[in-house]
Amino acid sequence: MSSLVGFISLSLAIGINFFLLFSYFFLKNKNYNFNLIVRLSSVLTLISFFSLMFSYVTSDFSNFNVFQNSHSNKPLIYKISGTWGNHEGSMLLWISILSIYGFLFSITKVADLKFKQLTLVIQSSLHILFGLFIVFTSNPFLVNSVIVKEGLGLNPILQDPGLAIHPPVLYAGYVGYSIIFSLAIAGLLNKNNDDEWLYIAKKWSLISWTFLTGGIALGSYWAYYELGWGGWWFWDPVENISLMPWITGLALVHSLLMIRGEQILKKWIIFLSILCFSLSIFGTFLVRSGILTSVHSFAADASRGLFILLIFFIITGFGFLVFLLRTPENSKPINLLFVNKVSALVINNVLMIITTLTILLGTIYPIIIEVITNDRISVGGPYFNSTVIPIMMPGFLLMSVAPVLSWQTNRLRNAKLYVLGFMIISVVVLIQSYFTTFNTWGVLGLILGVWIIVASIISIFSSYKIKFSYKMLQKINPHIAHIGVGIAIVGITCSSVFKEEYDYNINEGDKFRIKNTFITFQKVETTNEANFQALRANFLIKKDEKLVANIRAGKNYYPVSKMITSEAGIFHEWFRDIYFIVGDQKDNNWFIKIYINPFVSFIWLGVLIMVLSGFIGVTKK
Amino acid sequence: MRKLIILTPLVILFIISIFLLIYLLSNKDPNKPPSVLLNKNVPNFESNSLYNPKIYINYEKVKNKKVLINFFASWCLPCKVEHPLFFELSKRYPDLFILGFNHKDKIEDAKKYLLEDGNPYNFVGVDKDGMIALEFGVFGLPETFLINENGKIIYKFMGPLTKEIILNEIEPLL
Repeated sequence: MSSLVGFISLSLAIGINFFLLFSYFFLKNKNYNFNLIVRLSSVLTLISFFSLMFSYVTSDFSNFNVFQNSHSNKPLIYKISGTWGNHEGSMLLWISILSIYGFLFSITKVADLKFKQLTLVIQSSLHILFGLFIVFTSNPFLVNSVIVKEGLGLNPILQDPGLAIHPPVLYAGYVGYSIIFSLAIAGLLNKNNDDEWLYIAKKWSLISWTFLTGGIALGSYWAYYELGWGGWWFWDPVENISLMPWITGLALVHSLLMIRGEQILKKWIIFLSILCFSLSIFGTFLVRSGILTSVHSFAADASRGLFILLIFFIITGFGFLVFLLRTPENSKPINLLFVNKVSALVINNVLMIITTLTILLGTIYPIIIEVITNDRISVGGPYFNSTVIPIMMPGFLLMSVAPVLSWQTNRLRNAKLYVLGFMIISVVVLIQSYFTTFNTWGVLGLILGVWIIVASIISIFSSYKIKFSYKMLQKINPHIAHIGVGIAIVGITCSSVFKEEYDYNINEGDKFRIKNTFITFQKVETTNEANFQALRANFLIKKDEKLVANIRAGKNYYPVSKMITSEAGIFHEWFRDIYFIVGDQKDNNWFIKIYINPFVSFIWLGVLIMVLSGFIGVTKK
Repeated sequence: MRKLIILTPLVILFIISIFLLIYLLSNKDPNKPPSVLLNKNVPNFESNSLYNPKIYINYEKVKNKKVLINFFASWCLPCKVEHPLFFELSKRYPDLFILGFNHKDKIEDAKKYLLEDGNPYNFVGVDKDGMIALEFGVFGLPETFLINENGKIIYKFMGPLTKEIILNEIEPLL
């Protein structure tokens, strides 16, 4: 029943959007409420989404999708998240978020009504494209041909609170770019050539980018504790394709903040707006077509791949074609000096685009090579680390002072203070690393990270009178975001460069020591949980003869899908994580792997600051 | 010149889309990489029998025969799907030596599985710790290899075999 409701309301929503599109171009007399129709289609799409969720929550196995991806003894939260834990449902989530953005835009105040209509029409066209994709290749409302009492279960690796909310947040970022895309295209097509859309796009781009940041971080955090590989970023193709729109989105957010009517910047912003959404769809295509091998194992299906490739081609091609045909003319030249705000922006934009292209090349290079030579190669961490990081470094160096650079002149206020700060940091870091472990990347990363934090703090105190109010927070918000970046860089550098790894082959009751921490491998227990069997090894952590923590690490066995997942045990401290992985048992001994990951918590803290400051930025007038 | 720059994204889009299209149409599946072992000598292996730990098998014992090696486990559902096909195959090609490797399984479970579903293998070797599978570069179960009389791997298939695959891809090699 709910499947029927879901399917009908989705079809109706698509139909309404068709009507909207048709009437916009062919009906002269438009005396109906445009906004209302958009909202109606959004509501119908959401009804469709919630009816699928309802089928999941009630374990309605007459729905084929529920049968394949759910199980009645799954906890409620995973029944809910199961809705988007599969290909069909996640595409429905995609289009639902698209609808929500359409809805929100329809209630936004826009002075130029024609422009608003055009934007909504473009948004509706996107809805139609993805809607047809769902109906024809990925219908989540198919009825099960046989009557069954039980489902096949959700992939256990997805049964995790972090991963339950990762897709919606990530999609809120990806799909948010659709509004920017629609705005940019409508801005290009709109004959009444004013720049209102740039100011509207500012907020939407910041919202999307903030969600994308949160989504990527959630995925990364999940990978850190669930995959049991001891790291948090693996240059996995799916990670890369989320990083590309993130970087271009970052460039977009900054360009939009800086624009003061320069036409060349406007062109650039339009380009970025189209690019961001294109890369989002490109990412969807690569994941959904199964072209890439990655931890995101989704069923591959050529027809789906072709359909999304077509959508990607149509949307991106249309976007860039309109851009080609209707580029705004250069009128007001850009005020480029050696070191002013605009030049810093241009340099950082160029660096971000080069970074994106580098990642793009590394990600699709294996596909190109395989098509041409039929050989399979793999491009992994070493390529990305040795290309992406050096390209980004000058940008990091610049970003610390960029917010306080002047618009008009080459002068940087308190330049001496910054230079002095930089020198002191460099000397301290060099001396510190000389006496501990010297590593070039470690030194560079630490200097940059600390420099960004310190320079941002100097900027705050030298440019503003500090008062404790929300308005003040809004004012210094850019610096806060940059401090977040600095903190994250320190975390990233330390956790990847100074990571240590220990292997043990030990029995219950054995004790060992890592630096000043005494660890007891107490015992191994197995328990039966609702939908899995858990094997847990208990570790007691003692410092200065005092018990400070009791960490459990192990594995889960999911009988329904016959899969084993590793559950890392992590002892969090501010300055390091002790990361436990339990391996196999052999001759009464257990194989235990321990990573010491310094400063990992700084990464999450830094990202959290960025996300918060993103939301604060949205509230700014 | 300016138009040319603005044209670049479209050109890049075209190139990327064409490559992706060819890739999709060529039916390549990245999850099923061509084995590096294809056309190479079969790796050395030695394994005890599931039924009698004192009996073991290695390549020397099946030399000069065509050998079909199948990695399976009782916990692997797709294995159950392809299982009946081996009976047919062994009936039609009595000279073919079908060697099953029981992968990371409990001995009792494996015995029970072969008792219930029948045992089409000429020999069932135990690969409890997965070391043999590692040597063969096995990605996931089931996986099947065909070895010719000269000890070269001439065919490999990942995932459950089907009638069509046996008919179109394996039988021509037998």
